[in-house]
Amino acid sequence: MSKVLLMVFIFVSSVTFSQETAMNASEIESFKAMVVKASQEANTIKSDFIQYKHLDFLDNDIETFGALQFKAPGLVKWEYTKPYEYSVIFKDEQLLINDGGTKNAIDIGSSKMFKKLNQLIVNSVKGDMFSDDDFNVTYFKTRNSSKAVFVPKDSKMLEYIASFELLFDTTDGAVTQVKMIEPSQDYTKIVFSNRKINTPIDDSVFTQ
Amino acid sequence: MIRFLLSSLLILTLFSCGPKIIKGLEVPVSKQNIGSPYFSDLSKDYVYKAKLDIYGNYFGGILIVKKISEVKHRVVFTTEFGSKIFDFLYDGDTFTKNFILPDLDRKIVVNTLEKDFRILITEKTDVVSQYQNSEYDVFETANSDGGNLFSENVESKQLYSIANAPNGRIKILITFNDVEENIAKKININHNNIKLSIALEYLKK
Repeated sequence: MSKVLLMVFIFVSSVTFSQETAMNASEIESFKAMVVKASQEANTIKSDFIQYKHLDFLDNDIETFGALQFKAPGLVKWEYTKPYEYSVIFKDEQLLINDGGTKNAIDIGSSKMFKKLNQLIVNSVKGDMFSDDDFNVTYFKTRNSSKAVFVPKDSKMLEYIASFELLFDTTDGAVTQVKMIEPSQDYTKIVFSNRKINTPIDDSVFTQ
Repeated sequence: MIRFLLSSLLILTLFSCGPKIIKGLEVPVSKQNIGSPYFSDLSKDYVYKAKLDIYGNYFGGILIVKKISEVKHRVVFTTEFGSKIFDFLYDGDTFTKNFILPDLDRKIVVNTLEKDFRILITEKTDVVSQYQNSEYDVFETANSDGGNLFSENVESKQLYSIANAPNGRIKILITFNDVEENIAKKININHNNIKLSIALEYLKK
């Protein structure tokens, strides 16, 4: 009986492992080219999302629902709508926060870290993070999606984030999921849906 | 923002006093121990939207409290985006700081937060004396910080507030509102010796 179980385990494991394989050099090149092209063609992006906060000691992940709007070159509105209302607009050198009616503006002009954060958010929304010198990137493919894993090079950043994982639709190079994994292995996973490219977004969206 | 929080906490006005607490008339002690019942269910994930006001400056986040065994609680605070600001473990009397943002990792900040959340999660403390006024039964407990006063509504017997009041003046006041099925939907933590208030609102699943 135990032998049968072992065989089943090996079979299941090999199937599971075979679902994700590393890309070869030419696959990486064509994948990157597709994502960069999709990113360059996207002047606006609208998408809904569900955020899952996973903490190992909780019975259930914390689910938060929201929507994202992006307008080139660098306007982003990140908005949670359920179970609470909270939005952040990344605009010029400012973060405009609206926490259930309490409004706050933070000047990020002087903060290198916030500028980096802003750039990261814009680039991860678009998927184009490959030229970022701050990460070691590895690439994987599954049947339906491609995955890029970004590991920070900076030891200080590694204290907060072990890695970023971005999942892409293999057909159009769109980002479908972002996962930020902490050194403790707790993570935040954001799954995008209803993505709309190049529908008009008025600038007034990015004001408070 | 974090630097401001830190500098604000450092301007601790040690000699300022909070309002006097009204206990009422002393009555015989009717129960041996008392505590907060609102984080005592092992099967529940307690998740709150948090708003902090510190010297008129404001920031928000998500507070997660989980009882992980009979004597252990995890208290984690994250940003709305999910990144951790701090992660504390309370194991009986032992306190472990699993993680805190380096900018916030100062003794006064950690001590203040540790104490606030310990009051929130402590389920049993010995009652040393008891009082009664028109609205509340007030139970006084002894601890190293000069004792806490637990006010229970006379009619509903529900815990309404916990006050840390050394020398009879309120230093920290925690109030519980909109209690349903032993969950306090709204919790306010107000400090009188530093301008710090924390408002918590329970997030429905």
